[in-house]
Amino acid sequence: MMEIEALQYKGFRNLKDENGDICGFQVGIRFVAYRGPWLSQFRFAYVKVDDVEYGPDVCTFFVNGVEYTYAEMLKPENWRVKVQMQAPIYIHVKKEGGLAMGCHRVSVKFSEIASYIPERMDDINSEMFEMMHGNDPAYNRDMIIV
Amino acid sequence: MSEERKVPKRGISTYCFYPQLGVNMDLEDIFMHMQDMGATGLEILADGIIPGYPYPSEEWLNKWFGLIKKYDIVPVEYGHWVESRLYPGQREASLEESLEQLIRDIKLAHYLGFTCMRTKLGVISETLDPVSNWREIIHEALPYAEAFNVVMQPEIHAPTKLTDRMVNDYVEFIEKENTKYFGFNIDFGVFQNKPVPEMARFFREDRVSKPEDIIPLLPYVHCCHAKYYNMSADFEETTIPYREVIQIMIEHGWDGYLLSEYEGPHKEDINHCIEQVRRHHVFMKKILGQ
Repeated sequence: MMEIEALQYKGFRNLKDENGDICGFQVGIRFVAYRGPWLSQFRFAYVKVDDVEYGPDVCTFFVNGVEYTYAEMLKPENWRVKVQMQAPIYIHVKKEGGLAMGCHRVSVKFSEIASYIPERMDDINSEMFEMMHGNDPAYNRDMIIV
Repeated sequence: MSEERKVPKRGISTYCFYPQLGVNMDLEDIFMHMQDMGATGLEILADGIIPGYPYPSEEWLNKWFGLIKKYDIVPVEYGHWVESRLYPGQREASLEESLEQLIRDIKLAHYLGFTCMRTKLGVISETLDPVSNWREIIHEALPYAEAFNVVMQPEIHAPTKLTDRMVNDYVEFIEKENTKYFGFNIDFGVFQNKPVPEMARFFREDRVSKPEDIIPLLPYVHCCHAKYYNMSADFEETTIPYREVIQIMIEHGWDGYLLSEYEGPHKEDINHCIEQVRRHHVFMKKILGQ
């Protein structure tokens, strides 16, 4: 089952490379919505942990079990790949040493292109996201790394 | 023998519960609530309801048909989208890209037992005017809709008014094509004449339709989104003139489905959503004399 929030607590952990060294962390997200977008309609700005933003350049995304960079997701041919509602998207964030054990303030900023609403709302950096989710507990959670 | 009095039928859209699905509720839970309320007309939002959409598994299809039968559900409307801004830089999808989405959904809707679709086209204006090639898209899809016996319906939704040119353009298109396979889903939010206190910033006083504006459109309407924002403890919707609209429908012998669609606050609270939908159906039963 999923958690009702956009930020999923389940799956929040540090990641190790093939040598067993901690190389980053993972966090899951879901669309709190009645549909997922086609992959090329996914938009992502950052995962923020304790005021440090991690943007698309240090993230990869596991969708339906397949790993994509942000640029790969947005390729035109991916409009036929659907983000399914039954499983989270897991974001892998590169960060040497990962996150320290303990409590972190985690925020995420992502959205979808929805052609049935006006185009000006496509911009993830417009005031719309801040108005809808800036203080939304579904997008901003205190989360513990063990 | 006197003719049976025609009145609208009741149902619900899975939209009422979307934040809860896959969290603490599944499709069968919704079907149980529908059966409890005697509101067995169903709208699904296909992309979110069908695992693996647009290619459901055999296992899921078997489950679907089993549940439909078990709970006496009437598949009424299949909600889907014809996306027009599919990838970065695109403003309007090509005819081929649009038809690929639309024809696939026509076939899937039919296979699942639906007779209507809520066909959401991409928009190009603040008042939700559809993409510039909508006539071409729908014209090309009509033979498929007819062959698979499903009616494509754009949803007329606030801030669009029922008297807007766009609605008239749709009517002219239907008459010109002389088709029964394109019509309207009227969202009751177009009649909202009072703001919801928690959502006052979204209310547009200048974009309110009058109940009687629906009269010339009724022949083309197969089902409606019975939008509700706030059900009071004494079972009244406080922001939309339901009684007037439904009275007009009854007077004109309209007997399509009213599909509850909750768009009020606190959708994250499952108990709130369940209570609101049940209040809504008590309200509609009262108006419909049931």
